[in-house]
Amino acid sequence: MSSPKIGVYGFTGCAGDQLMILNCENQLVDLFGATEIRSFSMAKSDNHEGELDVAFVEGSISTEEQLEHLKDIRKRAKMLIAIGTCACWGGPQAMKLEEGGFEKRYKGVYGNAKITVSKAFEAQPVDAFVRVELKIPGCPIDKSEFLGAVSKLVAKRHPYLYRFPVCAECKWKENPCILWEGKFCAGPLTKAGCGAVCPSHNMPCVGCWGPTDDLNVGAEYNLLKEKGYGPDEIVQKMKKFGGAGVAKLVKEIKPTAKEKEANK
Amino acid sequence: MKTLEVVPLARVEGDGGITVTLDGKKVKKVTLDVHEGPRLIEQLVRGMKPEDDVNVVPRICAICTLSHKYAALRGLEKALAIDPPEKAQLTRDLMMLGENVESNSLHTYLLALPDFLGYPSAIAMLNDYGDDVKRALRLKKFANHVMEVTSGRIVHGENPGLGGFGKYPSKKQLSEIALRARELVPDAVRAVELFASFEYPEYPEVDTNFMSVNAPNKRFGLAGDTILISKGKETDAEDYRKLTSERVVPHSFAKRSDYKDKSFAVGSNARLINMGERIEGRAGDLFKEHFSDRWLKNPLFNNLAQAIEMTWALEQMPEATEKIAALEDPKRTEATRDTGSGTGAVEAPRGVLYHHYEVKDGLIEVADIITPTAQNLDDVEVHMKACAERMLADGRGDDELLPALEMIARAYDPCISCATHLVTLKRL
Repeated sequence: MSSPKIGVYGFTGCAGDQLMILNCENQLVDLFGATEIRSFSMAKSDNHEGELDVAFVEGSISTEEQLEHLKDIRKRAKMLIAIGTCACWGGPQAMKLEEGGFEKRYKGVYGNAKITVSKAFEAQPVDAFVRVELKIPGCPIDKSEFLGAVSKLVAKRHPYLYRFPVCAECKWKENPCILWEGKFCAGPLTKAGCGAVCPSHNMPCVGCWGPTDDLNVGAEYNLLKEKGYGPDEIVQKMKKFGGAGVAKLVKEIKPTAKEKEANK
Repeated sequence: MKTLEVVPLARVEGDGGITVTLDGKKVKKVTLDVHEGPRLIEQLVRGMKPEDDVNVVPRICAICTLSHKYAALRGLEKALAIDPPEKAQLTRDLMMLGENVESNSLHTYLLALPDFLGYPSAIAMLNDYGDDVKRALRLKKFANHVMEVTSGRIVHGENPGLGGFGKYPSKKQLSEIALRARELVPDAVRAVELFASFEYPEYPEVDTNFMSVNAPNKRFGLAGDTILISKGKETDAEDYRKLTSERVVPHSFAKRSDYKDKSFAVGSNARLINMGERIEGRAGDLFKEHFSDRWLKNPLFNNLAQAIEMTWALEQMPEATEKIAALEDPKRTEATRDTGSGTGAVEAPRGVLYHHYEVKDGLIEVADIITPTAQNLDDVEVHMKACAERMLADGRGDDELLPALEMIARAYDPCISCATHLVTLKRL
């Protein structure tokens, strides 16, 4: 069996998912052996841009230059896998997607100065622009979930990813429920895979893996409202990492006029 | 007119490049370009509660994640008048030591060393320098473990919070860290020996200024409330704007900083230049043995400084863990006010990182983050330009020039994601 040709690319984000690949210390040498890493510019300088079996793409897309590069990768790759919450959902930089105000925020940072390196726009996930075969979320991705997916791909099988929320992992660990204590916990909304790491440290889930499959936004919203959280704060906290994924879902929530008033 | 380009600049974190503009034999301009897209994080955290900000801002950078977390905590705790318990302080010190070893081992052995030995990557070095690659991976793995035990996760851990930690490391975890840190000191010393054995070309040498956070109690350390300047007066971190006058340039989404209209450098070399005399133990001996005046003008020595600092960080761990283990787990300290302002300054692996916050009625009004790479960008260009001019005058070809410039840029260990997210508010 010939080893799959792989490319690893990074766009707007923290490079944490590429770093997690480099953090697979014990398996790194095997990984470079079982695959043919054609391009991985964070790790090496002899990169070849040709046909790929799998392109792993980290980060959201926020400049014209990146968009062109992404389209070129898509053309050359048989399979494109989004890795990390920024590539999958847009990440923190997409938390205000569909709320407007990007121009104002941009000016708030750069003023009226002219930047010619490329034209910038509000960050969006990779699948807003090109077809994506698989999303491996995480902030950052989990080593074992990533390596599990790569092993399956090397064996020409389809990778399996968790399809349930963080709450399930929290129950396995028999953690006391943080939400039950009245603290804001994004566990019910968030895709599992991290091992419920924050609740296991007595800290609430911050939602950094983005929305889980089939989530019930309305139920979480009502529960948090009962615990005394205001509608705006709930939506703001839910959108912190979920960006594009949550932006669609929060439209289902319509605070009543009375609630809006109370929130002020 | 002729232009030479290095795009992308490999073996650095983030998307950057170098552009050299030549007019005949004259170097018109050398720029380090930042292609990484903007994220506007400081604008996005406006209106958030401080507890939410400390989840979001570490995402600026995966390599300096804990430095961002700690700088934000320091800034916000000042703003909210929170005095964290001693055990929290000590555990934060330990997590910073972990991040320092993680980043310095990655940069020295895996990202910079291939340049000095003439390989395209550390993976390509496996056959000839397999033991050194394994040393790097051992150090990195251990440092990641220290970060995981203290912060909850290797990258973007949420265990450190305002006023303390969600959960403290167990005595068993702490004693294992102490034991392993002692075992790994020789791996760090080997990096010092390697980087001390190389010839450093004189081409990039230009006198510069160095800034670093002044650690308290006349010790070497990674956080403090004042800033040391090698050619200037010690300054309160709250006056960070005077030290980092910012501007926007066309070739970059990262802003630039200068001090009194001149470039300056931050990072391991700056820390050792300003505080190296305070280091004890093996690392202290290594500093005394290898420090020279050339460090003050040649950025390539930052690699050597990182190796010495990594030795220091490992040597600190046994004492640090012992102190933590001796204390009972305290509750997190609550905020005593909901309006105020504060600046947190810490030493990220690549230099001083500032987080400034203004909080009103429990919500963030202003966030201003100035990253080390943004502070270094001017200095990188000054040294690259000097190097290019001298090499061309010496009749060196493009094939020698471009790798030399890459090595200079890489020596600063640039974190381009960080620099990009670096953004400030214009206050009228």
